Amino acid sequence: MNKQVAIKAETSKDFEIRDYLRLDQFPHFMCPGCGHGIALRALLWAIHEQGIDKNKLAIVSGIGCSGRVGTYIDANTYHTTHGRPLAFATGLKMARPDLHVVVITGDGDCLAIGGNHLIHAARRNLDITCLMLNNEIYGMTGGQVSPTTPHDRYTTTTPAGNVEPVFDASRLAEAAGAGFVGRELTIHLPRLRDLISEGLEYKGFSFIEVMSDCTEINGRKNDLGSSAEMVLGQTRAMRPNEYDNNVVDQPFRPNSMDMGVFVRSDRPEYGATYRAMVDQISKGQKS
Amino acid sequence: MAKAKKDNSIAVLTDPPKLDPKGMKEPINVLIVGVGGQGVIMVSKVLAQICQNLGYQVKQSEVHGMAKRGGVVFSHVRFGNNVWSPTIPMGKADVLIALEWAEGLRWMNYLRPGTGIFIADTKRIVPPFACRSRILGADIGYSRDTPDDVREKVAEAFALDATEMATKAGNERAANTLLLGALSTTLTFPVEEWKKTIAKMVPPKTVEVNLAVFDQGQYWIDGSRKGEPVEGAAFVPLVQPEINSVRTTLEITDEWCKGCDICVKMCPERCLILNKDQVAELAEPDKCTGCHICEWLCPDFAISINPIIQEAVA
Repeated sequence: MNKQVAIKAETSKDFEIRDYLRLDQFPHFMCPGCGHGIALRALLWAIHEQGIDKNKLAIVSGIGCSGRVGTYIDANTYHTTHGRPLAFATGLKMARPDLHVVVITGDGDCLAIGGNHLIHAARRNLDITCLMLNNEIYGMTGGQVSPTTPHDRYTTTTPAGNVEPVFDASRLAEAAGAGFVGRELTIHLPRLRDLISEGLEYKGFSFIEVMSDCTEINGRKNDLGSSAEMVLGQTRAMRPNEYDNNVVDQPFRPNSMDMGVFVRSDRPEYGATYRAMVDQISKGQKS
Repeated sequence: MAKAKKDNSIAVLTDPPKLDPKGMKEPINVLIVGVGGQGVIMVSKVLAQICQNLGYQVKQSEVHGMAKRGGVVFSHVRFGNNVWSPTIPMGKADVLIALEWAEGLRWMNYLRPGTGIFIADTKRIVPPFACRSRILGADIGYSRDTPDDVREKVAEAFALDATEMATKAGNERAANTLLLGALSTTLTFPVEEWKKTIAKMVPPKTVEVNLAVFDQGQYWIDGSRKGEPVEGAAFVPLVQPEINSVRTTLEITDEWCKGCDICVKMCPERCLILNKDQVAELAEPDKCTGCHICEWLCPDFAISINPIIQEAVA
């Protein structure tokens, strides 16, 4: 009758995020409800799934809200200048091919000031995983218009609404020659994790666009609702017209962007071809 | 009258009536129920076609469409010399054919008291709505009634695992034809007419299997009525699978929480609240199912869910 029940806390939780965080830095600086936190969880989970050693992991980040995300990861982190994380990462990967190099960058960082670096990194197809956190605004500097701000959005520099067309980053990376291109929402966390995991596994330049939320600046100025409403609204309030997406007649996901892996090619990886050439020259086969 | 039996024929009448619409003023009512995709409409179409071929007036009405693949489907077939209304009134169905066990139980009140014949497949299709409780180890909301519980409620009842028998015969989807065979024993229509119509209406590749299971269905009911031991899968009671009583604890690091409200709004069980300090708090720990949604979507990593396994010590 009086059955003894021994309660034992199970320690083998498959993924404990606090093993991968710099706990002394917490709580982090991001606003309440910012989607970057969810994207960070997905990245760390994917790193955990891939079984990557923290000492062999280099996180390179630029400037902006997305740039600060990298500083919370307990690994080798590299906080670089505005727009240039891909350039720094290219040098790092060429010098230390044994490292897993992950670039965390934002929409303004990657597409506006660092647009050239993106297309050339994609062209070379060096083994880097580039995570672009697309929150459609310059959040840290006060909410200026960014290349991915949708039409008619109010920002501090477009007080009457944005009239510029948006930049489809995934299509740009695809056209520039990236070997792996994918896009996912932060609310689809398991799918985002799997996508990043696939990108980390891929040998070559993998470009992953994460559709994140800016609740405090973008959301508040445009009356997009609370953080929870913005996260939930991701699935239905996406803008296919702006992204030149013609897949609008999907029965269960009407009017949404297309997600998932767009490109997965077997182009030669730049670091491997480069080192093969160096070997040939050092052996004197090629002058 | 009705005698109890151990096998799947739950209750049989010693002198079973043969329903004949000839010369009767009232129409004969057959109610066919099941789940979308099982072939309810097909059964009713075959029956209606036969009645038409034999020169009776037939009215059939059905609910389908949205029910395709998993929802409730029912079909009323009324035939006789004069049929006015297309639907069967409650308590007036002469035969109830159920292609799914719980559906059969649900529609039992349509059977004519005293003479109604109940023929049910014991296959269970548990609807998603019955698994609504997300707590691990929770009971599913599916009927636990066994054929023994049905015995008192109807005059004559048969519970046969038609799906299993049809699978053995070569095609699982021929289960509806097997029940047609069972139905044919209650009516006076000639067997040739049944077989001719079935062969015309089923896909050409499956005619052979369908005619074979039609014979099986007839044999099963006739054998049960004569009291012979008939082959057929026995009724297996629904057993809840044993699940380790896994409970979870939800830990919230208050200093990290910024009160963004995502966990409160996203929780399917609504067991989290924002307290007066604008910090998330687990208000109803018993309701928490450990689904991890709040943990995964917390941008501040403030929530962590840890499983606790309760091990019974003898």
